[in-house]
Amino acid sequence: MSWNSALMARVKDAVSANWYSIVLGLVAVILFVVFWALVSQYLSDSGSDLSVYVPGPKSVAEAFVSSFMEPVPGLDYTRMGDMIASSLMRVFWGFLLALAVALPVGLAMGTFRSVEAMGRPLVEMFRPIPPLAWVPVFLMVFKSFWGPIGIVFVGVFFPILINVIFGVKSVDQKLIDAARTLGARRGAVFTKVVIPTIVPYLMTGIKVGLGVGWMCIVAAEMMPIQGGTGVGYYVWLSADYGRYEFTYATMLVIGLLSILTTGVAEIFEKRVSRWMGMR
Amino acid sequence: MSACIEARSLSKVFTTGKRRIVALEGMSIDVADGEFVCLLGPSGCGKTTVLRIIAGLEPATAGAVLVHGKKVESAGPERGMVFQEFALFPWRTVRRNIEFGLEIRGVSEKSRHEMSSDLIDLVGLKGFEDAHPDELSGGMRQRVGIARALANEPTVLLMDEPFGSLDAQTRNLMQKELLRIWSATKKTVLFVTHSVDEAVFLADRIVVMTARPGTVREIIPVSLPRPRDRTSAEFIAVRGRVLAELDEEFEKAREKELSLD
Repeated sequence: MSWNSALMARVKDAVSANWYSIVLGLVAVILFVVFWALVSQYLSDSGSDLSVYVPGPKSVAEAFVSSFMEPVPGLDYTRMGDMIASSLMRVFWGFLLALAVALPVGLAMGTFRSVEAMGRPLVEMFRPIPPLAWVPVFLMVFKSFWGPIGIVFVGVFFPILINVIFGVKSVDQKLIDAARTLGARRGAVFTKVVIPTIVPYLMTGIKVGLGVGWMCIVAAEMMPIQGGTGVGYYVWLSADYGRYEFTYATMLVIGLLSILTTGVAEIFEKRVSRWMGMR
Repeated sequence: MSACIEARSLSKVFTTGKRRIVALEGMSIDVADGEFVCLLGPSGCGKTTVLRIIAGLEPATAGAVLVHGKKVESAGPERGMVFQEFALFPWRTVRRNIEFGLEIRGVSEKSRHEMSSDLIDLVGLKGFEDAHPDELSGGMRQRVGIARALANEPTVLLMDEPFGSLDAQTRNLMQKELLRIWSATKKTVLFVTHSVDEAVFLADRIVVMTARPGTVREIIPVSLPRPRDRTSAEFIAVRGRVLAELDEEFEKAREKELSLD
């Protein structure tokens, strides 16, 4: 009984604490929007040159809505949905390719000393290069569709690779001993001990990789090349047309998409760890 | 009774850099079928190393181990091992931990389920089949460890300080449980411990080891009937005898440590 009521009290505390922070958070957001509206109003009233760069919240909100409803300024036939689709598609393919290469390479590097000895210098040579440094070459060679995918690939590859290698090295020797005394040979030790151990590490790599991949796609799409598409491209194009309310609306979309992709990754991660019995 | 485990003059030398540590030297023991033998010694005497060599997890530098006349070359399911830190697979449920060895052997799902159910009953884990190790207490985790080792129907159970990380109460309970399981399954048990009390409570024979390099100092048979009463005069007498042997080795180990510094 007392345990139950203590639990109820704790739940109530948690809920009210949560409400308190939600209200505070809302207040901060509202204050920011009011401040933004005041600055925008002031700049336009005083006839400042800066006025064009700071459209008010209302016009950004209108641009946001209209960008989904009708073709955006500067591009015929293209709505926000189409641009989101093409950006997501690139992130997806770049991510999938990176995973397909980084996972086996990471497993091999973590397992075999000789493979690691060979791979380590190459990894340390290429890893510090920001993925965006590849933009000019990749766009020239792979053009507007595969070029940004290549950039995403580079961005996603290393977080996954490094986490997988680390995961393999974190395998508990005692679990390997236990598996061996239960009759497991090399193959079974790998599939039944090493693989389950690396799953949480792999998930971390995927989450970090998706974040990086999303940063990469926006910058990679910004390159003003023939046949450009995607949200990154439109950030640039709308600014070029002087329609800054659409630039901000697109930035907002990018932020939301980033939250969405890492959110999906997090839900997936929780599912997997619950399925594996770890919390 | 025929010999189940024969360890013949085992030696083990560890080399780390320039340091050469002789862990074992000419260690021989025999364990008969169905016998319960405790390996007792001061810490660092190499008792765990003996067990790991018999398990096939580590090669001996010299000497050989025969189990039922067959030379041990590597780890194998006929020698089940129970670990001090339990070494359960954290991503597997109780049932799936117990079924690990059966999966490796390719036993069908149906018979796996039957066998693990029997073991869950035997070790008293009914109702916890679908729990994960992190939801269990230490004592219950080790019940899983024992059931998992038994699932392969080993002839030998090698136990490396299996109750070393449990609190005193749980430890006593688990000792009784182990004896119950042992008499139900008739396994040969080689049990490593540093607790004199535990050894006297459990063993048919106690092998007291010397300080490093480890070898057999004395073999003390314990002929008290089970269940044993820790407060009985006979128990205390055996305990005193074992303690006297061990104390000398503790002293030697301490002197050696001091002279090394």
